[in-house]
Amino acid sequence: MADLVLGRGADDASSLEAWLARNGVGEADAAAIMQQGAERFSIYRKLVRGTLRDAVLCAIPRSVARLGPVFDEYFERYLGERGPRSRYLRDVTTELLDFCAPLWPADPRVPAWAMDLARHEAVQIVVASELGRVPGDARPELRLEAPVRFIEAARLMRYAHAVHRLAEDPADRISPVAAPTALLVYRSPEHDVRYLELTPLAADILERLLRRVPLGQAVGEACASAGRALDATVVEGTAALLADLAERGALVGSLDGDE
Amino acid sequence: MSGAVSGLEGVGLGLRWEFLDEVLEGPTLDVAFFEVCPENYMRRGGWYPHALSRVRERYPIVTHGLTLSIGSSAPPPEDYLTELRAETRRLGTPWHSDHLCLTSAGPLVLHELLPLQQTSKNARRAAEHLCRARDHLGLPMLVENITWYAHPGQRELPEADFITEVVERADAGLLLDVNNVWVNSQNHGLDAQAFIAALPLERVRQIHVAGHTRTESGLILDTHGAPVVDPVIDLLEWTLRRTGPVPVLLERDNDVPELSELLDEVRALSAAYRRALAQPEVLLARSA
Repeated sequence: MADLVLGRGADDASSLEAWLARNGVGEADAAAIMQQGAERFSIYRKLVRGTLRDAVLCAIPRSVARLGPVFDEYFERYLGERGPRSRYLRDVTTELLDFCAPLWPADPRVPAWAMDLARHEAVQIVVASELGRVPGDARPELRLEAPVRFIEAARLMRYAHAVHRLAEDPADRISPVAAPTALLVYRSPEHDVRYLELTPLAADILERLLRRVPLGQAVGEACASAGRALDATVVEGTAALLADLAERGALVGSLDGDE
Repeated sequence: MSGAVSGLEGVGLGLRWEFLDEVLEGPTLDVAFFEVCPENYMRRGGWYPHALSRVRERYPIVTHGLTLSIGSSAPPPEDYLTELRAETRRLGTPWHSDHLCLTSAGPLVLHELLPLQQTSKNARRAAEHLCRARDHLGLPMLVENITWYAHPGQRELPEADFITEVVERADAGLLLDVNNVWVNSQNHGLDAQAFIAALPLERVRQIHVAGHTRTESGLILDTHGAPVVDPVIDLLEWTLRRTGPVPVLLERDNDVPELSELLDEVRALSAAYRRALAQPEVLLARSA
């Protein structure tokens, strides 16, 4: 039944009959199914698609609107070739985008910014629903030799296009500017999802901190990677950034050695 | 005749995020309990689980799952049951319910309630999976009859017998969805009352009612997207006269109207509830 619902080519009587034969359904069962008619089984195909598509539409409405029929085509491919794996409906969008990620760049019908926009839209639900065991600390103590702990509901997003500047209206069709963009997306103590645009150096530092590189090392490596001296400006800027993140409730403090 | 073994009686409402703020901020509502789908809150942080905890402070909560898939070949996964146990304990539900259906096959999770082939083998397996869930959760389990539009093959057992075999093997309760019975009766030319009479009504612990949508071809879809129609309310009363005071839940999952409209519907159902209980039907025998 699951294969019949997700697979292709069983929407009418002749294709249903062929599908049943191809899949080795016994004669008596096949006869009972055919007696009910393909339309009855196609209802399940529509219901499954409807539920999953509604979940995706809720998560990435602008991406769905902008891609139009191309989105529908990839949605069908995802169902037929991969299918939903998580029992949490909110995960379907991420699964779909993971499926599309290696395919879209090779498809000339898909704009170069499409995956950036889709991921940007999708991260809202990811961060909003992330399990959060540790609250942010407004005045954390940080040590240079220790990694920094962020709240679980925080993601560093990197895009090749400034998709965060697009209008929220799904009817909008202005293309985003091609500009490397880094955002820290986090959940506030009031449960709102917030977005903080980062400079390239700030993004490199936070990326390392999120990977639990010790603070001092993270700043040093980011500077070296940017060909920039680790000077007072960088130190003060980093301190201000981390203080700001703590104030926002996104940063917890230094990680203890046994964590 | 079964009674309200949990202490829950009256008419409850499916909790929807569309009116969650009103439930939280407003005065205590005349709703006996709220029902939630735990999969919407499991493995989830942020606002919604926090809000649900606040709802729990003021109202009883009952959990009704979507992905237990007791009809699957494989049993419900251990990790899912463990997370479900944590969530049901957090919410203090008196039981957990899910559907007599298939929602997953192998690694695929379809997020839809697919019918099982009504065979003794499937009934035995579903019962085993129910027992596994019950033992892991440490909670009574209820299983719900579903709406079905097509049956996947030859039928070995009538549906009422199939359901009965499952709940009796598992010693489980029944969540009787009266709307589902009515929708099936319309779509397949069945007698709704005869169907209900053939079930082990002493095992009914909860009842669901909902609205539906009619397609152009005349088929009725169980959309939970409209008010409950009079024939379903009549069937509810008929059923309650035979089950006694079990909690009734109004499901409205699509085209969710204003909360005030839903509360009007809860009031109407409550009136039907009281009418039914004022005229109980004593069961001397069950249809064989």
